[in-house]
Amino acid sequence: MVYENNFPLLIILILFISAFTMPLIKKNALVKLVSLLTMGVSFLLGIATFLFVKENGSFFYKVGHFDAPWGIEFQIGTVESIMAILFTGVATLILWYALYSIEKEIKPNKVGFYYLLINILVGSLLGMVFSNDLFNCFVFIEVTTLASCGIIVVKDKKENIAAAIKYLILSCLGSGLVLMGIAFLYDITGNLNMTYIHKELMKGYESYQNTLHIAAGLFTVGIGIKSAMFPMHIWLPDAHSSAPASSSAILSALVLKSPVLLLIKILYRVFGDEMIYEFSILNLILILGTMGMIMGSVFALRQKEIKRVIAYSSVAQMGYIFFGIGLGNKLGLIMAIFHIIGHAVTKSLLFLTAGRMIEKTGNKKLSELKGVGKEMPYTLGLFTIGALSMVGIPILPGFISKWYLSLASIDATKYMYIAAILLSSLLNAAYYFPIVVNGYFGEENIKDKLYKSNEKDVKALMPIALLMIGMIVVGAISHKIIDVIALGLV
Amino acid sequence: MEKLLTNYFETASMILFGVGFVTLLLHNNLIKKIIGMNIMDTAVFLFFIAKGSIQGREAPIVTGVHKGIAGYINPIPTALMLTGIVVAVSVTAFALALTVKLYEKYGTIELDKIMEMRGD
Repeated sequence: MVYENNFPLLIILILFISAFTMPLIKKNALVKLVSLLTMGVSFLLGIATFLFVKENGSFFYKVGHFDAPWGIEFQIGTVESIMAILFTGVATLILWYALYSIEKEIKPNKVGFYYLLINILVGSLLGMVFSNDLFNCFVFIEVTTLASCGIIVVKDKKENIAAAIKYLILSCLGSGLVLMGIAFLYDITGNLNMTYIHKELMKGYESYQNTLHIAAGLFTVGIGIKSAMFPMHIWLPDAHSSAPASSSAILSALVLKSPVLLLIKILYRVFGDEMIYEFSILNLILILGTMGMIMGSVFALRQKEIKRVIAYSSVAQMGYIFFGIGLGNKLGLIMAIFHIIGHAVTKSLLFLTAGRMIEKTGNKKLSELKGVGKEMPYTLGLFTIGALSMVGIPILPGFISKWYLSLASIDATKYMYIAAILLSSLLNAAYYFPIVVNGYFGEENIKDKLYKSNEKDVKALMPIALLMIGMIVVGAISHKIIDVIALGLV
Repeated sequence: MEKLLTNYFETASMILFGVGFVTLLLHNNLIKKIIGMNIMDTAVFLFFIAKGSIQGREAPIVTGVHKGIAGYINPIPTALMLTGIVVAVSVTAFALALTVKLYEKYGTIELDKIMEMRGD
């Protein structure tokens, strides 16, 4: 009897079922404990799944014991189990950070609902990653939309509500387009299971060229809205900068990522290699990704608030991921997935440190945060290491994905795009380094500030430090991670 | 043109989708935006169900005699759209609740006026 292949379903069930017990619990401390405990258990189950998959290869799991074309199916390979570890691990650390800070940002009677939304959000993101059924993915996308709007609006300020409604409307547009794409595919093939759709399409896709082009375009634009592809990113800065710090970290690190994985699954598993290289959709993704890489950084340069800078930086980093997908060779795809991992760890670190600076000093403007390095040296130190990874300093994950993305664009004989990567790195440095330099140096900034005056509870820095260690580990064992991802994509 | 007329369900759903899309994107009034969103969703439901139905066949419910496979339509598109309708209803409810909140805070539901008030 093998128990491990039940674990993916168990992760989702634990998160979903425990979520609805939280508003019933009166004590906020107990709610936090339950949330942290369920997320930690999911993390351990994710590790067990990864070890099982690494030993025995990828497997299909029948949810509800019906066979594949009729029942819903999960496909769990190494990439999916790595994502399970990543999502639950980062969420655990963010929840740990939220233990000390959440009550300062939202009303105490909303804490139970907040943790309900976080658990549902992470559960539905993992559902989207695991599921092998298109309609199931659509339902999970909608659950994600509602939950992520919920964790923005929970702060109950003017700008939160305006940001959430903008996000909700654009997301509904996106999921409407995805549903239309599913309708086209179901129309042609009569299946919703990705494996079977691929089989049916291989029998005679030549006669449906135009319809398939439209379907691929609908999926790309719909999912592009959800994951902030460049011209459709307009909802992101408002939503990410106005939410509570722990929400922004989850939104930026995890919520943007799982639609990208869905896009990869649709392009490479539903349409398949042979078909997708004939379409021009990869070129579109490549061009939009490149534009996102540069324009996201250009917009970030002009921002005046620290969280908006980091939010626009997310647009640029999502550009790298789309760039990797759009290159259309295997190395590019591997690096897109590696960048998902690296960016998730780094961006949550940056958002949490920024949230801490805002919480302790009460300022969110960059001009007022000058000299923060004297008041909070450790926090700004962690921020610096995250910023170095974003800019691309060796060993850190940001450097590794930039390096291999350059190699991948040489492989694909698209030499011009290396210039875009270089330009984007320089722009990254141009908006991250002033924050650090003005924080630590500049005599007149730090003149009448007391050393460590705002660094009262150092224990809240523990989860951020663990994220930093995780980031360095991801960078240091990058060759192993890349090998494992390559194994999962064969 | 003839293709459009034979597949009149699909044509109608495409037109509806376009109407919804334009309403969603171009109007500043939030309630109108939500109406546009609903029209768009309904267009997709119509498209899906039109794909699933065949002239002259019945819904897959056996009453009295079982007519064999040729007598009934495929139930899956209808069942899927039931889920789709539930999702659309919940999203609409959430959007309306947010609109009420927004009206309480700003006193208007015109997005351009709200942008002016925030000064960006």
